[in-house]
Amino acid sequence: MRRTLILLILLAGVQIVLTFGGGGEKSETLLALGFLILAAYTVGEIVARFRLPKLVGYLLAGTLFGPYLLGTVSERAAAGLEPVSTLAIALIAFLAGAELRWEEVRDRGGAFLRILSVEMGLTFVVLTGLFLASARFIPFLAGADPRMILAAALLFGALGIVHSPAVTLALMSETGARGPVARTTLGVVLLSDVVVVIFFSLVFAVARGLVPPAGELQAGGMGALVWEISGALLVGTLLGAVVALYLRFVRQELMLFAVLIAFFGIEIAYWAGTEKLLTLLTAGFVAENVSQREDGEALRHAMERSAAPVFVVFFALSGARIDPWLVAASIGIVIPMVVARIGSIWAGTQFGARWARVGAMERRHVWTGLVAQAGVAIGLANLVSEAWPAFGGELQSIVLAMIAVNQLLGPILYRRALGSAGEVVGSAPAP
Amino acid sequence: MSTALILTLVVAGAWLAAHVASEWLARRFLIISGAEYLVLGLLLGPRVGGFIDTSAVDAFTPLMILSLGWVGTMIGAQFPLAQLTRVPAALFRVGFGQALLTFLLVGGFALALLLGIAEIPIGEALLPSLALGAIGTASTPAGIGAAAATLRARGALVRQIEVATGVDALVAVVLFGLSTAVLNTAAVMAPRPPTPTEWGVIAIAIGVLSGILFHLFIGEEEQVDRLFIAMGGAVLLASGAAAHLGLSPLLPAALIGGILVNSARNAAAIRQVLIALERPLYFVLLIFAGAAWDPGIPGIGWVLILLFVPFRMLTRIVSARAAARLAGEQEALGPSWGRALVGQGGLAIAIGLNFALIAPGPVSGSVFTAAIVSVLFTDVFSARLTRTVLRNGGGGPA
Repeated sequence: MRRTLILLILLAGVQIVLTFGGGGEKSETLLALGFLILAAYTVGEIVARFRLPKLVGYLLAGTLFGPYLLGTVSERAAAGLEPVSTLAIALIAFLAGAELRWEEVRDRGGAFLRILSVEMGLTFVVLTGLFLASARFIPFLAGADPRMILAAALLFGALGIVHSPAVTLALMSETGARGPVARTTLGVVLLSDVVVVIFFSLVFAVARGLVPPAGELQAGGMGALVWEISGALLVGTLLGAVVALYLRFVRQELMLFAVLIAFFGIEIAYWAGTEKLLTLLTAGFVAENVSQREDGEALRHAMERSAAPVFVVFFALSGARIDPWLVAASIGIVIPMVVARIGSIWAGTQFGARWARVGAMERRHVWTGLVAQAGVAIGLANLVSEAWPAFGGELQSIVLAMIAVNQLLGPILYRRALGSAGEVVGSAPAP
Repeated sequence: MSTALILTLVVAGAWLAAHVASEWLARRFLIISGAEYLVLGLLLGPRVGGFIDTSAVDAFTPLMILSLGWVGTMIGAQFPLAQLTRVPAALFRVGFGQALLTFLLVGGFALALLLGIAEIPIGEALLPSLALGAIGTASTPAGIGAAAATLRARGALVRQIEVATGVDALVAVVLFGLSTAVLNTAAVMAPRPPTPTEWGVIAIAIGVLSGILFHLFIGEEEQVDRLFIAMGGAVLLASGAAAHLGLSPLLPAALIGGILVNSARNAAAIRQVLIALERPLYFVLLIFAGAAWDPGIPGIGWVLILLFVPFRMLTRIVSARAAARLAGEQEALGPSWGRALVGQGGLAIAIGLNFALIAPGPVSGSVFTAAIVSVLFTDVFSARLTRTVLRNGGGGPA
């Protein structure tokens, strides 16, 4: 009742101000930001009562109040909040890297790689095959050149294997989960971030060979790809070392420093042409593992504090990008793809986990953390759309619809899995 | 190299240098000030160094508005009524007396200058005068802590100065907020523009509703992280709403702060959250305030400023003496205790910047410049003045 009252007051108040106010884009953006933080958080608490993850509430709030439904947050305001999303991604990546300990990477990196390789390989093959098999039912591919159909299928498969470190980390933060399932999932998801960049670039190159892109975007050659990955490791290491030095010798204004590092890291990655997430991930990893334990914890705590409202807005904005009408229009194609994707993730994780000889709990539950998709997948879908205007837009629509469903399903499945595994702080494992 | 990257490098490096330098200055010369960050912003801004160009300043407007909102909330949160009722009423009588007198005298003087020297029509001169009155009323408690610690002073005089600086902030924010509301000329999409009274009510309503909303939102929550999210959202909402309607965020935010500390059961945790973000947002405010500086009316504007600054200093001393005499406290406080209120601090900058954002133009540029000059000038020796007042005025241990 209280939460409903909050939402009603918020909605009414903001609508009145937006209707009567003559302020420009900047003030509207600020108003939208304040509104989203409170509204999304409230919806998050409402869904938590139904034992769903709060971030599903943030996503739903974004969709409901976003430009496609109620329109409380207009497209202009949502665009104005993009820097907040960028900051969120940077903080998420840094925090994710800081979660990893060197001992864990050294001891279990091989296991993560085995799980990931089988899961991604199987998912890619299944999705690509299913897309090819259903091509005649997909309107924009009906009667299309076989080379174009194959290119679209390969790109679709490559987009389908992308995971979401943001969701994994957000749920770990929300639940306090730090057990084997959570840590294995985090390790696999973070590693997949690197692998996806390489794999997608290869698929992109193959698709480009099949159907030369007409759009302005030209993906770089192998040299650029090598630099994108290796440079990210190098730049990230240097940035992490700077952070460690600051923590050692200055250690003041950590909250402001955390925001500056995130902002600075994204900018330097952009300038250097390195993969942004990997750069910040590496920086977080180095900073955490090189610093004294209490220094690293202090910075992580400061980052988590500044990330808290940013996470809420990030997922709300992700939700605001979901066009429910688009999803509804594509539901006939999307549902089988989603089911196939989840099925192959499950199967691939089972085989990979057996090969990696991980524990039974991890074998049973890790796959749930690989279902969600978010910003990275959307970004890559945008790349495809820009490179192939002839069919990329329609393909992007299907992919976005699939991402929207995965974005909602994934956290629900993962949250239940963490609960069943007894890794949610305050819960016991399911029998 | 992108502008944003250069900006981050320069701001981060310069902030660090200024931080180290200011701590040395404070230890060595008892100069307590945030002015170094203001100067940093001036040097980096488009008028001087050009590292931060006008588009970057413009892009950071939402952050400046948020910082203003946070300043307002901090001020409102200084007034928990349960604690204030234990403060002797005489301290408040003196505090409010000198604050209101200062506002009237400085505002009146500013009006006379704008009408007489700058020859601005009264309709256009009224709001800048009220803004200057509010700027003149603002004082800083920064010097009192350091000076009192040095002398180990803790008597009636110290208490009075503390109360007076708090009241100065409250009066400045309330009167500035109401002035910008009542004289608001922002365009609205309504059948008729609101009357001055309606604008005043709207400004207050934004703060009250946001405070109620926060109160509902937070319930009995004690977890600091959740409080942080809620505080951020409430201040952003109120600041954004005020800015969208052409109002100052300071007054609504101050109301939020006042409502929270007086109604929430977890007031201590709320104050902790406010303090946690105070310094970073304060730095951002000062740096971008400096970068956003506009010199204002050429030529004659500087005459106004050069007259405003000493008049304001004199008014502080005279008003304080008059208020103490009227309340019968002159013997306890001494004749020159107003010198401890000469220092201005960040609130004066906040008001000046807010005015420049609400009513951009050459006149607001002069108002803002007056605030900057006054702060830079007075903050250098305000802590020393306070120490002198305490040493001479009987501020011995309680």
